[in-house]
Amino acid sequence: MKPRFDLLPPLAMAVAAVGVALAFIAPPDRVQGNLQKLMYVHVPAAWIAYLAFVLTLIGSIGWLWRREPRWDRLAAAAAEVGVFFTGLAIALGAIWGKPVWGVWWTWDARLVTTALLFFVYLGYLALRRVTEDRSDRARRSAVFGVVAFIQVPVVHFSVIWWRTLHQPPTVLRPGDPTIDHTMLAVLLVNLVGFTLLGAWMLRQRFRLLAQLEDLEDALAARDLELAGHSIETPKLEGRRSDV
Amino acid sequence: MREQWRTCAAIAGNSLRLERRAGEALLVVAPFGAVALLLIPMAVGTDVPLLRRLGPGMYWTVLLLFGVLVILRQSSLQSPAQARLLALAGVPGAIAMLGNAVATAVLLVAFGAVLAPVVIMLYDPGMQGWPWFLTVLPGVAIGLALLGVVADSLVRWLDARSTLGPLLIVPLAIPLLLGATQSWQAAAFGASPLPWLLLIVTVDLILFLAVLLAGHLLDVVT
Repeated sequence: MKPRFDLLPPLAMAVAAVGVALAFIAPPDRVQGNLQKLMYVHVPAAWIAYLAFVLTLIGSIGWLWRREPRWDRLAAAAAEVGVFFTGLAIALGAIWGKPVWGVWWTWDARLVTTALLFFVYLGYLALRRVTEDRSDRARRSAVFGVVAFIQVPVVHFSVIWWRTLHQPPTVLRPGDPTIDHTMLAVLLVNLVGFTLLGAWMLRQRFRLLAQLEDLEDALAARDLELAGHSIETPKLEGRRSDV
Repeated sequence: MREQWRTCAAIAGNSLRLERRAGEALLVVAPFGAVALLLIPMAVGTDVPLLRRLGPGMYWTVLLLFGVLVILRQSSLQSPAQARLLALAGVPGAIAMLGNAVATAVLLVAFGAVLAPVVIMLYDPGMQGWPWFLTVLPGVAIGLALLGVVADSLVRWLDARSTLGPLLIVPLAIPLLLGATQSWQAAAFGASPLPWLLLIVTVDLILFLAVLLAGHLLDVVT
């Protein structure tokens, strides 16, 4: 059975809308009040960023193994989605941090490693942008896509490896999650909704990259035709060209 | 195997001979780094206790940021024709990269040795545990050089090489910077800097494996 990708946008919008609505209804945190509700977007954003960077790694390895353009497109599209959601997670964390911690930014291991992750993948996108030849671009970015992934587990385990202000894992941890179960249910709905949104964005970027490659090919073909014409003898208007 | 290491040493020797003739790392980048160390106190205030605290951190930050200029000089030294010649001669990409890394590590140690008296004179940092510095500096230099050759291979012959290279190197060099600054702090407070030295050595080993992997995969690029 062929996957129904046309259902992805309405499904993603619907689940994300339900998730955001549930976030408003969910009970506020006893200490932080309604500020805690930023978590319902902050956590899914960070989750999609991780997932996207895993896809960049898979795309990079896939390209190095199979040398097929679709793997390179997957890696590039996923990196763009990952950078967007990493930026969103950082911005939402800062908005939450100002009233709760008293500062927009603190030199916490999780925050610093996430910022580094953001810059590492910005470097990945910059590397793609400055490399013109498609095969060369795919090769260079595939190698960097593998090297850059080292940063992802460092970000995830930073709250375990170092003493940090950021809370340790509450859901992705061995044993029972250390979060109220109503809050956890709302968080899971948002995780599904935002994952679907991320998948939709990924698909759109993937298709756009394929169309850009088609456009590049068409322009290259046009240039070839022009080069072929240029070898004909130039004809000046009003002059005989047969002598 | 022995032949490959001889090739690696020959490439490193060639790179160092070119540097001796041009003097770019030690006669241009090192004074530039020293000027940066001179400017920082003017920006943050010339309070001696504050500068004593800032000194070691500033030293390693300048070494990292200006060291990138030393690292990226490799791609300006080698033309595409030279790289093709090496490939045609059967030199594996990883060996060529390791040769360049050895040369860059030697230059970074020399760069760090030139900056050390400058930071001692201008910032007067505590000199407790200075023997550790003799092991930390080569460790950081090796790590930066290995990271540098991977990044250098990725941006080689691109127009935006000089701007993109630092963006790829600096965020990934943070464990080396942390290891270097924290080992100095540990020594200053009477703790053992050994765990931080182990961190640097671990990063060096991971990067060594990355060079072997990238050298094989980027062989077609170079």
